[in-house]
Amino acid sequence: MNIKTSFLLATLALGMASCDGLLEFEPGDVILAEDAIQNADDLQRLLVSNYDVLANLYGGRVQIVNELRGPNFGAPDNSLDFTAVYNRETTFFTGINGGIYTDFYYAIYRSNVVIDNFNIVENLDESDRIRLEAEARFIRALCHWGAVKMYAKPFGYTPNNDHAGVPLRIAPNQDPLPRATVGEVYEQVLIDLAYAADNLPAENGPYATRLAAEAYLAQVHFLMSDFEEAANYAANVINSGVYTLDEDLDRYETDIINPETIFGIISQPNDFRSSWYRDNLRSDNTANPQLAFSNDFAFFMSLSGAADGRSAWYTPGSRALINRFNEKEYFNVPLAHLTLMHLIRAECLGELNQNLTTAIADLNAIRARAYGIGNNELMGDATAAEVVQAAREEYRKETACEGMWVEQLLRRGANGESITIRGASWDCPGMSLQFSNSETTVQGFELNEEGGCL
Amino acid sequence: MAYFAKHNFIPMFRLHLVACFSLFLLNSVDAQKLYGTVRDASGAPLPGASVVADGNNGQFTDAEGKYSLNLTAGSHRVVFSYIGYVARTQSITLTVDDEVLNIALAEDAVLIEDVVVVGYGVQRKKEVTGSIAQVDAKQITGVQTPSFEAALQGQAAGVQVSQSSGVAGAPSLIRVRGVASVSAAGDPLYVVDGIPITQEYFLRGNSGALNNNPLAAINPNDIQSVEILKDAAATGIYGSRGANGVILITTKRGQKGTSFEFSTRTGIGTPATRPNMMDTETYLALRQEAWENDGGTGYVWLPNMTSASDNAATRQEAYQRALLTNTDWVDETIGVGVKNAVNFGVRHGAERYNFYAGVSKDNNESYLRGNSYDRTSARVNFDWKPTQKTKLLLSTSLSRGENNRIDAAWSGGLGDAMANALPYYPVQYAEDQVDANGNVTNQAGEYFLWFDEWGGTKNPVAVRELKKWKTTEDRSISNAQLIYSPLQNLNLKVSGGFDYLHLKEDVFNPGALSINTDLGSASRYANYVLNWNYSATADYHLDLDDKQAVNFLLGTEFQRTDNYGYGLFYGQVEGPIFESDSLSQDADSVNTRINTPSQHSFLSYFGRFNYSLNDRYFFQATARIDGSSRFGRESRYGFFPSVSAGWVVSDEAWFQSETISFLKVRSSMGLTGNAALPDYARFGTYSAADNGTTYAGDSILYPLQPENPTLRWETSRTVDASVEVGLWSDRVTMELAGYHKYSTDVLMNVSTPASTGFTNFWDNVGTILNRGVELSIKSRNTVGEVKWTTDLNVARNYNELVNIGDYTPDAVSGGTNDSRVIVGRPVGSFYLVEHSHVDPESGLPVYIDLEGEETFDYNNDIRKYVGDGLPEFIGGFNNTVTYKNWDLSALATFSVGAKIFDSSAKRQLGVVTGWNMRTEKLDRWRQPGDEATYPRLTLDETTYSLPSGFPWWNTSLFIYDASYLRLRNLTIGYNIPLDAASTLQNCRISINATNLFTLTNFPGLDPEVVRDFENAQDRNMSPNVTYLTPPQERAFTLSVSTNF
Repeated sequence: MNIKTSFLLATLALGMASCDGLLEFEPGDVILAEDAIQNADDLQRLLVSNYDVLANLYGGRVQIVNELRGPNFGAPDNSLDFTAVYNRETTFFTGINGGIYTDFYYAIYRSNVVIDNFNIVENLDESDRIRLEAEARFIRALCHWGAVKMYAKPFGYTPNNDHAGVPLRIAPNQDPLPRATVGEVYEQVLIDLAYAADNLPAENGPYATRLAAEAYLAQVHFLMSDFEEAANYAANVINSGVYTLDEDLDRYETDIINPETIFGIISQPNDFRSSWYRDNLRSDNTANPQLAFSNDFAFFMSLSGAADGRSAWYTPGSRALINRFNEKEYFNVPLAHLTLMHLIRAECLGELNQNLTTAIADLNAIRARAYGIGNNELMGDATAAEVVQAAREEYRKETACEGMWVEQLLRRGANGESITIRGASWDCPGMSLQFSNSETTVQGFELNEEGGCL
Repeated sequence: MAYFAKHNFIPMFRLHLVACFSLFLLNSVDAQKLYGTVRDASGAPLPGASVVADGNNGQFTDAEGKYSLNLTAGSHRVVFSYIGYVARTQSITLTVDDEVLNIALAEDAVLIEDVVVVGYGVQRKKEVTGSIAQVDAKQITGVQTPSFEAALQGQAAGVQVSQSSGVAGAPSLIRVRGVASVSAAGDPLYVVDGIPITQEYFLRGNSGALNNNPLAAINPNDIQSVEILKDAAATGIYGSRGANGVILITTKRGQKGTSFEFSTRTGIGTPATRPNMMDTETYLALRQEAWENDGGTGYVWLPNMTSASDNAATRQEAYQRALLTNTDWVDETIGVGVKNAVNFGVRHGAERYNFYAGVSKDNNESYLRGNSYDRTSARVNFDWKPTQKTKLLLSTSLSRGENNRIDAAWSGGLGDAMANALPYYPVQYAEDQVDANGNVTNQAGEYFLWFDEWGGTKNPVAVRELKKWKTTEDRSISNAQLIYSPLQNLNLKVSGGFDYLHLKEDVFNPGALSINTDLGSASRYANYVLNWNYSATADYHLDLDDKQAVNFLLGTEFQRTDNYGYGLFYGQVEGPIFESDSLSQDADSVNTRINTPSQHSFLSYFGRFNYSLNDRYFFQATARIDGSSRFGRESRYGFFPSVSAGWVVSDEAWFQSETISFLKVRSSMGLTGNAALPDYARFGTYSAADNGTTYAGDSILYPLQPENPTLRWETSRTVDASVEVGLWSDRVTMELAGYHKYSTDVLMNVSTPASTGFTNFWDNVGTILNRGVELSIKSRNTVGEVKWTTDLNVARNYNELVNIGDYTPDAVSGGTNDSRVIVGRPVGSFYLVEHSHVDPESGLPVYIDLEGEETFDYNNDIRKYVGDGLPEFIGGFNNTVTYKNWDLSALATFSVGAKIFDSSAKRQLGVVTGWNMRTEKLDRWRQPGDEATYPRLTLDETTYSLPSGFPWWNTSLFIYDASYLRLRNLTIGYNIPLDAASTLQNCRISINATNLFTLTNFPGLDPEVVRDFENAQDRNMSPNVTYLTPPQERAFTLSVSTNF
């Protein structure tokens, strides 16, 4: 072998031996995980993505599904997924329940990443850290609570609330987790909301504030039938003076935040987050919308007659078409609002048989808006039971399409009331949505029992 | 091909030394003359052939093939060579007289029959220690298929080829010795003239129920031979990508003289089978029966005419009006496809160069109306030998495939005809439609449109006629090889290749198919795949003595693939932008989406060592180190060795048999790998939503996928053994092979619990076992005037998913196909509720729960393994009879033991919905005591215990035996006798029929099915699932070919 040949061979062999760099490719248009979070701004943007997920959940999707579980909506037109929810026969093949569940945990994971990464961010101001953690915990609480209400039996179903809830994720790891008990989930929700209430700022633009956390504490305690705590938190929010009841009945405003909104979803001209409402409920853009009120709800609404301004929210007929969102292309979606606080406080005080004057005032404030000042007021000498009854009636009306009525029925069922929802007992198996099919990919996860509600 | 001849010079080195020594001793002797003529095998002189004595005294033959060398007396070694022919070396001892030495050189084609192409070289068949199946050009072009890979069906043992559906341009599915992958691509590696080519089946996903076929651009007429490498000894040299087999494609090259090849064919295609859908009267009667079974009174409501809440009179009027229309939507969507093709090639060979050039035009209409795939291709292969030590080989091909698309299967077309196109729907309105106010809503002649349950606008005729849809694939595969031989038997080769693929899809949806707009919308999707390959090898052959020889191969290879593309979306346009760019300028809106670019690369080092003893004991060791950019630094490189040995027993002196003329045993073991996963699966990534996504006007950052830094190679450990036998002077040859392939660290894109914050995760999870036996028999049954040959191959493969860790069957699924990963069962098992029978009393379906008890309750919790799509036996049986100038060839293929999941039957034969039904449904329960295949008819899915809103009756009732015997190909040919002096040679006329008949018990359309897949995982896991998939075509073709 001559020198030239040897040289050629050596060149060929060695020419590539040191080319490990040829194997280094990194994905474009994305950020590697190790580079993603460098500073406080990155954490803030990650946090905002949590609100983005919340908007995807609560821009109508969760509300509609919860209404379909309850008695307020009639049978869907032809959507297979809506029909499965309506008949309370979701399986892990049904897409809508799997999608909602997945989104809840997207937000929980991202919240955990925020909380877990403070130590890798340089020069993070302590006040920023606390605020970021408070917001992350706020969202984590909303999502755990939102999930446990939809995918598990209600609080109070078992005496110790040791029935199966949902996985409790407080760290961003990939290990499979079994379902925590409902009691454990509620305990963590309260811890997170308490932290948020203690540490969130009073003002925070469209994002979570101290009062937002307290508003949710009122709601959570209410569902736990802890009426005293619920009333206290609701009172805190009401008495803060930050929010005022809207003068009209329309809380779904376009381009402005309604004055009674404590926390909600923001839509913008180029970013519609309320499309689920528009596409499935509006009766003015299609003759046969996918969803309409049930006859039961229409009958309930009709009892108060045309004097109730809320009667304009529907059109009677073979399907009680929903008008509440007509002519709205997009709008902001209030989630926690002052009306809700008044109604919670009123019912809680009625349940406690305490301070009924305040409760009656709360209810009359709502009725004054609906019927006109001085009309159809609850009498000042109303009994506690009458207050509770009135509060529930107003609650059902005011939260129509907000997906909150079914959870009240489940709470009352768990408290021993005989509750029947569209012919099925409140605790029929299919009332809890089935989990995402991906949750069954690891052995040992306990699925919900299906069906049994028809 | 000439350079392959070097491998035949086994004693060359020793002779060279002897010759030099002799020359030294005799250099003082007077000059003598050695002369003669060099001819080819037919006796024709070879002008320009090289004649070299003792390595330094040479000349070329003259126009008559004659040469004359002046040599000294004594011993000499003379080498005769010519491009395209097997070189020959002759030793001669000259005395004082002149000597005559006439030589005949055999063509390379003869050589090819004796050697097989292996990775980075060739080997004599006798020396091969691995498992390699060889398919020649005649076998490929002898079967009329739209793409070459389909022609491999039934040709090689252990190679399962499932042919594509009836959609033009659809890809086939090839599995070599089973499937050893789950989520990573399980297709074999395709190598064209040494270049591993792009194999992207999902550039456009399954748009329109069609996966693109990356092999469709290869012109079958350019192929000289195909080698299929099956075991580790054969595929080990491809290391990281050999786990699922390697298919080597060698294209034609030039040869001596000048010859032209011309062939043309024309034919027609029709569906091999035809769906039996109900007519209006039958459909309405059964729908009425379902309505009444459910307690309905009066006439049943009808989709797109009435609803259940309409009053009885309205429903009755609609029912009677529906009876007036009876559209056969199957007839409306299928027809007769016309095919024609023209191929022209030229081969030329001269003293220092040769070339092959071929052009081809192939127009292939499918039987689906409006659907065709047209391929135009050209290839030039050029070999140049500037010096005795240097050779340059250049190859390039250009092709364009134009696919005139239609919707198929779930996307529409014939799929709609088998689904939502009810027979009472008219194709067009017969008269003006007037609303309650007297306004004309639809004019006579307008297409009747309806919406399916997903909101899609339907009417397969209207969509076909109005929607413009075209996919264009431009492909070029080129490579250059420089071979330098500084020493005898030492070859240094540098090779560079470039594979370019540009897939462009243009769609125009006219406003007439929309309820919202008068104008249409247009989309353009463009994908580019650029694949560079570089390799350098050195091989050296050394005869240690007259009994021992060794061969070394060392090499390195680098391959890089870039994938990128974009999408353009035009709103409010008047027509298809691909027909007139000016139309795009008037678009109301234009949106652009840039695909995320993706790159990957391989860096490899490999070697092969061969040792032969007494020309009957053969040993081989290969090793390859592969690095892949798809893995992190800790697990980037994989080591894939193999060892093998072969023993030609019949060459032993003690072996004496009049019956057994050839006996060889061989065995191998080794490791191969697979890294065909997405390029960036190992990275944890975030998106900064640079596309403008914000919330409340604030920018966001969010995680996309979790990282897995430990992702590593999927590895298969294979042991293989075989016996090759030749009987009665090789009148009958056979090979029996067995193998055991154990694949570990199998890559799976597992569905992770959603509560982790992610839904999918790539990980090395599984273990898969494949083991099997293969038998090939070739027999020349009769010789003489009537020649009858038989080829039979049959293979049995056992596939088992051995382990998937803590995951459940639902962790990995095959798209929407109800195939899952079930430990102890094959990859691609069907996981469904088991159907038992129809209860004669109630007419309700009876299911079997996990305890084996009968139940009326349908529940996903009682899903179980109910069969799989992997056959127990596959094979091919080919007989050829030749009599004088006539020949008759019949190729039958068979598959035994596989199940097929007729996934669309759960709607066609299940709950009565807005889908038409198949006539088998008439065998339904009607009254107590009936024993029927199908349960009582119902419009309510809960009757069958299905969840509300879930009419998908996923039960084993629709799992069928997919065994079949198919007459794949029948050819009658006539070779026109021509005088040797005739300009035309090898004139042949043949008539060919494909898929003439199929014997099967499958009641559906086609027991051999390749549906559209969502991704590689689906492709691995869902063989033999049909979902409105068009059946294969039955084609009749007339072919004419000649050389001149």
